[in-house]
Amino acid sequence: MSSNRLPLPVPVTFSGKWNQKQYTILKELGSGANGTVYFAVCNGRKVAVKIGTDPFDLLMEANMLKSVQAHRQERIGPELIDVDDLMYAGRSYSYYAMEYVKGERLDEYVERVGADWIPVLMVQVLNRLAVLHRQGWVFGDVKPDNILVWNKQVHLIDFGGVSQIGRAVRQFTEDYDRASWQAGDRRAERSYDLFAVAVMMICLFLGRQDWDRIRCQVRHLPTLCDIIRDNKGLSLYSEPIIKALYGKYVTAEEMKRELLETLRSRVQATPARKDGGTLDFWIGSLFVASLLLLASSLYYLWM
Amino acid sequence: MNKTATLRQILVVTDGCSNVGISPVAAAALAREQNITVNVIGVIDRDEMSEQGEREIREMAKAGGGLSDIVYPAQLSQTVQMLTRKAMTRTIQHVVHQELKEILGDSSVVDLPPEKRVQVAGMVDELGERSHLDVVMLIDTSSSMKSKLKAVQQAIHDFSISLRSRSGTSRMAVCSFPGKQKHLDVRIPWTEQVDKALQLGSNLTMSGVTPTGPAIVEAITLFEHVELPAHLADHYRSPVQRNQDDEGLLQDHVF
Repeated sequence: MSSNRLPLPVPVTFSGKWNQKQYTILKELGSGANGTVYFAVCNGRKVAVKIGTDPFDLLMEANMLKSVQAHRQERIGPELIDVDDLMYAGRSYSYYAMEYVKGERLDEYVERVGADWIPVLMVQVLNRLAVLHRQGWVFGDVKPDNILVWNKQVHLIDFGGVSQIGRAVRQFTEDYDRASWQAGDRRAERSYDLFAVAVMMICLFLGRQDWDRIRCQVRHLPTLCDIIRDNKGLSLYSEPIIKALYGKYVTAEEMKRELLETLRSRVQATPARKDGGTLDFWIGSLFVASLLLLASSLYYLWM
Repeated sequence: MNKTATLRQILVVTDGCSNVGISPVAAAALAREQNITVNVIGVIDRDEMSEQGEREIREMAKAGGGLSDIVYPAQLSQTVQMLTRKAMTRTIQHVVHQELKEILGDSSVVDLPPEKRVQVAGMVDELGERSHLDVVMLIDTSSSMKSKLKAVQQAIHDFSISLRSRSGTSRMAVCSFPGKQKHLDVRIPWTEQVDKALQLGSNLTMSGVTPTGPAIVEAITLFEHVELPAHLADHYRSPVQRNQDDEGLLQDHVF
């Protein structure tokens, strides 16, 4: 129980006990609370296979993924391909295979492309959450580790935390958990996810290092509010972020709308300033150039 | 299946070996016999736990039909929540498996195709969420635990939030050992909400005694479904009764 890792390295190729699909494992992608995810090939198709250490939690996760997919037009999350057992070292392990989602982790992506992208990506996240919420689910474990960006689109990946609205949140991470910040309980409500989005936004604006420093401080809302006030990028979006932290939004759409409004008003404000900036720069440099010219001509006259 | 089950758990938080009285492994087995699951969390600082301590923790949980983990103080809150939830589903799974065995005959749930097992998992989850849960947290407050008690207090409070977030009803009680006169002191009698004012440190008994086994035996007496000899019933049950009169809510419970 003390470890979420599998006790042995998985075999490179294996077939499922029930459905006989054959898998070739290519590499490990990462470990979640309920098991390890591998990149594999099955019938020439690239898939992600999650092999569980706890068969119950893994099956529940597959169950969630299946329930979320019942709505074909509005599918959120990777497609569930196969659920089966794998026999090795005399034990049976449950696993499920899903569509392989390519991408870069949200925080790494932001670090590469810059903070300007954060609000845009958050709007996308809120759109995905809105669909999930409409279907009666809360994502639960919203954090950068569970979101991938590919082709400038975000994808939610780990569905281990998905919980029915009104229930207790199945899985969470303290950094993004409303109860750990003394801002409410762990009931699966839309506002629980929105709180996590707000903290995630703060975390992305600060960057890994600064965020790690903040993690040691007292976990309550005033700490977060101070950070927002002191950070230039964050303070521009303080209104929607603080409203989400205090649970003022009932739906993801509402938060998205206000985030978009802030984004728009910011964009409209920027070009004028930027033009002014470049113009100032040119006037300044022309002035310096003319001074130099004056100096050199004076020098020549003097000689 | 519309029954709501009552699940009973004892959660031991300790940092080392028991050194007095009945073996904690035997005590855990005794609890299990009375339908109480025993989960154990070992808390370590920088120093590693002794092999003996680790083994005792594992064996206690095994005998108590529960789960164990060894963590740093910072991970305590999350571990308490995870361990409790997993142990709950395990207990329900066990019951469901027994019932299914009667229907399916010799074959067990593992022999069901995965799609069916996914459905069983869904049912187990549903039952777990709605069941009634009674948890006694049993905190080792021997001197070596002093540096970890702040994290323990935080975990107790955090755990009460998790319990309140469930759909089913839950109660918890907090006890510390060694106690002043007995092996264990009831610090918070059965309650549905724990106030943050609980101060575990103020009653530190600086003795080197760690009566984990006897404490578990006494913790069993807190569960009302267990029949007790009269003197024990007087000692443990009466404060519970009194407390229930003011709706089981304790405020500013400072010791």
